[in-house]
Amino acid sequence: MNGFLEYVPGDSFLHHMNPVAKLAAAFLLVIACFATSSFVVLALVIALDAFLALRCNMVRQTLGLARAVAAFSLLLALIAILFTPKGAVLVALPWGYIGTESIVAAVRIVVRLVACAVPLFLVFYVTKLTDMANAMCKVLHVPYKYAFTFTSTVRFIPVFMNDMAAIMEAQTARGVEFDGSFARKVRLMVPLCVPLLVSSVRKTNSAAIAAEVRGFNLRTRESGYKEYPLGGIDAAAVAASVVAVALGIAANVVGLL
Amino acid sequence: MIEITDFSFRYREGASPVVSDVNLRIPEGTFVGITGAAGSGKSTLTYAMNGIIPHCYPGDFYGSVRIDGLDTCEASLTDISRLVGSVCQDIDSQMVSSVVEDEVLYGLENFGVPREEVEPRLVEALNAMGIADLRHRSIAGLSGGQKQKVAIASVIALKPRVLMLDEPTAELDPASSEAVFQLLEAYVRQSGATVVVVEQKIALLSRYADLMLIVDAGRIRFSGTPAEVLAHADELLEIGVNCPRSTTLANRLRERGLYAGDVVRNVDGAVAAVKEVLA
Repeated sequence: MNGFLEYVPGDSFLHHMNPVAKLAAAFLLVIACFATSSFVVLALVIALDAFLALRCNMVRQTLGLARAVAAFSLLLALIAILFTPKGAVLVALPWGYIGTESIVAAVRIVVRLVACAVPLFLVFYVTKLTDMANAMCKVLHVPYKYAFTFTSTVRFIPVFMNDMAAIMEAQTARGVEFDGSFARKVRLMVPLCVPLLVSSVRKTNSAAIAAEVRGFNLRTRESGYKEYPLGGIDAAAVAASVVAVALGIAANVVGLL
Repeated sequence: MIEITDFSFRYREGASPVVSDVNLRIPEGTFVGITGAAGSGKSTLTYAMNGIIPHCYPGDFYGSVRIDGLDTCEASLTDISRLVGSVCQDIDSQMVSSVVEDEVLYGLENFGVPREEVEPRLVEALNAMGIADLRHRSIAGLSGGQKQKVAIASVIALKPRVLMLDEPTAELDPASSEAVFQLLEAYVRQSGATVVVVEQKIALLSRYADLMLIVDAGRIRFSGTPAEVLAHADELLEIGVNCPRSTTLANRLRERGLYAGDVVRNVDGAVAAVKEVLA
């Protein structure tokens, strides 16, 4: 993987799919995850995530991402444990209690966020941002300036992360010690946001000027050189995602665990 | 091709003009090199020539700048961009795509180049920069020199009549810098376009440029062929511009009355001068 959210070249079926179909299928899987409370359906989505990661040859990166999302969602899980008093009482709290259902809800949050994050991240790693913008323009008729703004935002994330790393390295070379507690690290990083903001504004301004002097304002829906036809694999992927949504809702209705 | 008359510019947030009283005529097909000390106004001058001033950086604009008769104040930046292709100093910010092919396609698509011309122009631009093998490579994985060539290729694919580059070799090693200048010179000779390069490496400019401009405190202090400009070596040093070592060597010989030939601007010239002295 080049860097966070940077395109990874490859030859998998996911690489060759229509960018819009990929996005649609990923969003449908997100809906499926949030529409269901069933661990069975969530497990199926995770199995699908694993299959996709395997096909894209990105298992290691996907595991890293899943770990990061799980770590982040632990905070939400903690809130669920403390403030969702349901099921048999396990621990009494001054404002309620921690119940068996609180634990289940917390686990569900972690599993759900991991299940729905992977397809979205994979889409960004296997799709060139220019293809995504052009396909959104051509297929969905999204005005190019909005599509470009969206993809530019994603494109600049690794750029700004690299800038932040460079600023931190420069500070470390001047004796700042970022090791230690999380709170200490945050306290040391806050002042660094100023130079990062300055360099970000500068880079964004340069990018806007560079795009404008290359005819950005002339761009129309017809301008794109490449075509993005929808194929059988795209239809199958979207259909499978719709089935996942239906399965999720059905599992809720029948009360499947 | 480029006509600048009584041009002065002060940035809105600046206290005094960054460029003052510039008068300049650049004929079509000229390779122009601009140099000067840091903060002397070189980049501002190029911003005026590619329309970024006054369209992106507001301020007090005096005089006029015309590109092929087009007044840069009256024309839109897009219209100016049809004539002038620009390669900015910050290459990473200039890239809009993740893959080389898409980066070169970007301008071609925007300017509505006919479909049947797109592929030949893409191939031609990549070949001209010697990066045909990088066509499907990810930009994030390229070296500074390769990115620079991609940026230039993406602009020359548009076949601009004026090509403007701001410090194109800032992040390059000497061999890559030389290669970029060779490619630019070949482009000027083949296409007949005008190329304007802001560059700190005066030795490179003196070898390739037809016209050299030395900017000092916002004014054009010296203008002429490299030989004419380098004849003012001592004055150049006073304003923070170092002459090529070959020129300095020949000038020292001249000061001691040992050499009376033309101004030297490259190693071959210096060798000839030393041979003449030793003969």
